[in-house]
Amino acid sequence: MTHTLHRAGTVESLERDYVVFAMAAQGVNRDGAAEKLRKFLETVLKYNPVNFGDMKTGNAISVGQEKVLEGIRDNSIVHGVFTDADTVARLLNELKEAALGMSVVVTGLLDHADKCCREAGLQRHTVECSLGIWGRTDLLPERENLEISTMCGHGMVSFKLVDHLVEKVQKGRMTPKAAARELASNCHCGVVNPERAAELLEKMARTRVGAE
Amino acid sequence: MRVDVEACIGCGECIPYCPMNALAVKDEHCMVDEKECVECNICYYSGVCPVEALQKEDLTWPREVRSVFSDPLQSHSTTGVPGRGTEEMKTNDVTGRFRAGYAGIAVELGRPGTGTRFRDVEKVAMAVATLGVKFEDKNPVTSLMTDRATGKIRDDVLEEKALSAIVEFDAPLEMVPEVLKVLRDVSSKIDTVFSLDLACWVNEENKVKAMELAMAAGYECSGNGKTNAGLGRPLANLGK
Repeated sequence: MTHTLHRAGTVESLERDYVVFAMAAQGVNRDGAAEKLRKFLETVLKYNPVNFGDMKTGNAISVGQEKVLEGIRDNSIVHGVFTDADTVARLLNELKEAALGMSVVVTGLLDHADKCCREAGLQRHTVECSLGIWGRTDLLPERENLEISTMCGHGMVSFKLVDHLVEKVQKGRMTPKAAARELASNCHCGVVNPERAAELLEKMARTRVGAE
Repeated sequence: MRVDVEACIGCGECIPYCPMNALAVKDEHCMVDEKECVECNICYYSGVCPVEALQKEDLTWPREVRSVFSDPLQSHSTTGVPGRGTEEMKTNDVTGRFRAGYAGIAVELGRPGTGTRFRDVEKVAMAVATLGVKFEDKNPVTSLMTDRATGKIRDDVLEEKALSAIVEFDAPLEMVPEVLKVLRDVSSKIDTVFSLDLACWVNEENKVKAMELAMAAGYECSGNGKTNAGLGRPLANLGK
């Protein structure tokens, strides 16, 4: 449900992390939605997202643009990831003009998303916020790991994979950018922000005990 | 997930990819801890195995519950929605699922990254059911309930494990603090974590009332979240 909610991080980091996605509603406007969702993604691609994907198929890194576009179905959920709010506002404006009728959701800092909507001449309809993590929080890794792993809300980026890639970066076996791509390729939806992930991986590698 | 032990070379490259730590090398081969494996298939999809020894399995009930709740590429048969199987606020501009004056609440057990047994899902569902909340019809966890008034989940899946599962319901806005108190209480009785979502319509003053109520009751709301931009139209195909 909430695959893009609960992205952990500082305000400074989240200011460069936005997901815009679209889907149709079962039993209401889903029949024939595939073409509209494809048009949505084509519009997203004009704004140079740092990642994109469809929950039904895969992402920019794992399967590539052609397969994602080809694979879109009526029940697809199609995403693009951006690193600045101005681009999101311009994208929303074009989506408003396109009048596809699909529901569009912006994930990111709520104040920034509100500003983007207003700049595009839209009144936000519904907002969902995170009240955090409850229960056995002793099972969780450190905050820095969560800032990376929570970018995939379906849990496809394991805590251990983050640690594994940090170690590879630390030992000079992988660049932060390559590690971020490896990590992002596992998130089918394409909602991991590889630029933000690379920054966070580099920081973890530099500051973790044992760093050279 | 199964490992073709004839093909496996025991390199262990797949181990970090498993979110449940269910893979280990033993006797020079990779082994799957079937009790912990949630059948999310990410070790397979990642393509990390150099000899293609990781193989998806055809699962039968009740084990197939693991895969449908954990592998985002699968759509839930009860809702037709991939991922965790619910549209929640994403399409609220079209469906009106969470009405004005109500809060939508989702308790995603096992997230982030810890996984959950359905017995813990049941504990949470039964706790909030005591408040008379209405569980969401188009949600796959609701479809596993044998009694929607009590939140009881069918016995044959209780020991199954998923990467995460979402208990979803709505409640009048004024009940938000009471619901959160019940969730706070039950959170100490489960053997996993949950991530908690709170959603509602944005009112005429551009305020999010559910958030205000939660914060007034002493709960912290994250500054980031999801905003439905209001572009959905119920009859999107008209005039195409």
